[in-house]
Amino acid sequence: MRARPLSVRARLTLWHAGVLTLIVCAFSAGIVILVKASLFEGVDRQLLRALTTIDWVYHHEPDEIGDLASESGIALFQLTVGGKLRHQTEGWERVGLSRALPGSGAIPPTSWTAPDGRWYRVQAVAEPSYTIAAAIDESARRDTLWTLVAILAMGAPFAVGLAIAGGYFLAGRVLSPVGAMADKAREITADSLGERLPVGNPQDEFGRLATVFNDTLSRLHDAFDRLRRFTSDASHELRTPLTAMRSVGEIALQVPLEAGTYRDVIGSMLEEVDRLTRLVDSLLMLTRADSGAAQPVREAVELSALAGNVAEHLRVLAEEKKQTLSVQSAAPVAAVCDPAILRIGLMNLLHNAIKYTPNGGAIHVRTAATASGQPSIEVQDTGPGIPAAHRERIFERFYRMDPGRARESGGSGLGLAIARWAVAANGGRIELESEESKGSLFRIVLPGVA
Amino acid sequence: MRILVIEDEKKVAKALQEGLEAERYEVRMAADGEEGFSLASRDSFDLVLLDLSLPRRDGIDVLTSLRKRRVATPVFILTARDAVEDRVLGLDRGADDYLVKPFTFPELFARIRALLRRGRADPSLKLQHEDLHMDLATRKVARREQPLELTGKEFEILECLLRHPGRIVSREMLARDVWHVSARATPLDNVIDVTMTRLRRKIDDPFEKKLLHTVRGAGFVLGARHE
Repeated sequence: MRARPLSVRARLTLWHAGVLTLIVCAFSAGIVILVKASLFEGVDRQLLRALTTIDWVYHHEPDEIGDLASESGIALFQLTVGGKLRHQTEGWERVGLSRALPGSGAIPPTSWTAPDGRWYRVQAVAEPSYTIAAAIDESARRDTLWTLVAILAMGAPFAVGLAIAGGYFLAGRVLSPVGAMADKAREITADSLGERLPVGNPQDEFGRLATVFNDTLSRLHDAFDRLRRFTSDASHELRTPLTAMRSVGEIALQVPLEAGTYRDVIGSMLEEVDRLTRLVDSLLMLTRADSGAAQPVREAVELSALAGNVAEHLRVLAEEKKQTLSVQSAAPVAAVCDPAILRIGLMNLLHNAIKYTPNGGAIHVRTAATASGQPSIEVQDTGPGIPAAHRERIFERFYRMDPGRARESGGSGLGLAIARWAVAANGGRIELESEESKGSLFRIVLPGVA
Repeated sequence: MRILVIEDEKKVAKALQEGLEAERYEVRMAADGEEGFSLASRDSFDLVLLDLSLPRRDGIDVLTSLRKRRVATPVFILTARDAVEDRVLGLDRGADDYLVKPFTFPELFARIRALLRRGRADPSLKLQHEDLHMDLATRKVARREQPLELTGKEFEILECLLRHPGRIVSREMLARDVWHVSARATPLDNVIDVTMTRLRRKIDDPFEKKLLHTVRGAGFVLGARHE
């Protein structure tokens, strides 16, 4: 079974505590080693001094050797001459230190435990005729050392505990903006997309994170707004013909009518059915395009022929409005695109231009290569132009600059949205240049032939 | 002519039955795929009208099984599924034609006539209705011996109307037959109306008797309506 991954706060704390524990252990071990060395070096020096003193006294004033214990404080020693014990202090005998000596020979400074548990440092020097052995009680020093070890052993966990607590607290403080952001983000739903995360310091890591998140929220907010507008517009557009059908039918059923009138009523209802059908077809086409179900089949297409063909289709509409419709192409321009889809796009653009250009105006369709060499089709009209505020949004579904007028002229509000989709599906884009009361220029820019 | 209609939607089925009977066809109805399949494989029909979304047995399944049994009756698909794959699938499995719902009756009848006519002699190169004459070979049109100057589209519209005299020709039919546009999301209706107005100016305005009539909400008709 895998352990549950720890929180960032816990991990930070653990790392912090782990490193600190290592430091504390190393530091304690160092102290113990140092203190131990200095303590025992002192003992060994003292022991050597005692041996030297005993040796001097034995050579120069052998009678006074018995007084050494009381006069020099050298309480534990024995002197053996020619294998026989010459002198032994009373302390030495009481502790039984002879047992610490392996034989009559010399031994280096050695620690030895007496049966009563006390520790002694023992050293013996051997000359050909005599041997001197001395000892010092080192229990006090050992106690000091153990006390130190005990203090360190008890203090270290405490220090580590403190480190964990402090680390946890600090990590919490550092991470608190993240928690605050998470809490705020949790409160944000589709209905409150206008809210933003708090940005503490925009320069630090968390500030940048919050800023990025807020940017995402803004885009999401826009997308939701568009969707909401679309839903409300779509329901309006769909309900209008339904309302017309229902009211026309209900009124017709109120009183008996002549056959001709009934025909008229049914015809009127069928007109609304047509409108609804067109609307549903357009919406389905866009929805399918959104879901990626409509895959364009691309080939090299000569644009001037396609533009001419589309213009011929719609020429009657321009003629009805006494508009001039011209198609110009400087040289053959080829693009890689799906001609059927591109036709739909261009047809909608041109239809739009004819619809909004007043009687007697002029519409020019031009095929050319842009400055960067990309193939393009331009549709220029002498219509009223599009104010800057609307330029971005006229390609949105159902968007209308003037909601009342456009519906009268029979538009579904989807023409430019379909045009934009048709061009985008071919890997191109539509550029719009417009000057109010002078006219607009829609430019379809497509990928060229590689 | 016997036609089998396999359609589960009651209102549509009733309209199809009445409409086809008015066109003098003998109609059998089937309300689900299973019934439709057994009728089509047992009896002999001149045409099967097949909905694709059917209870008990899917339309595509019915079609596939019929073709496996070597039933060669022409099959006309009526479907609300209009994705390209659905249409291709239907035609691949041996359907002879299809229409996407909502369809218009004039177009359905025109296509049924075309399917039933298939394999017979080519239609005549000269069309006529009352005093209106059209010569498809020379592309000349005249009324009361007076030649009329028509544009290409006007000529084709008139041809379409002359091929279905007395019957309604819908805008969908014209879009498909004259403009060769099947996507209904293109702004073609205005173009059709304007072209029709111009055609009317040429063939009707100078004459006393009007031949071309608009049927509100449905389409256009040449001459008196077939009742």
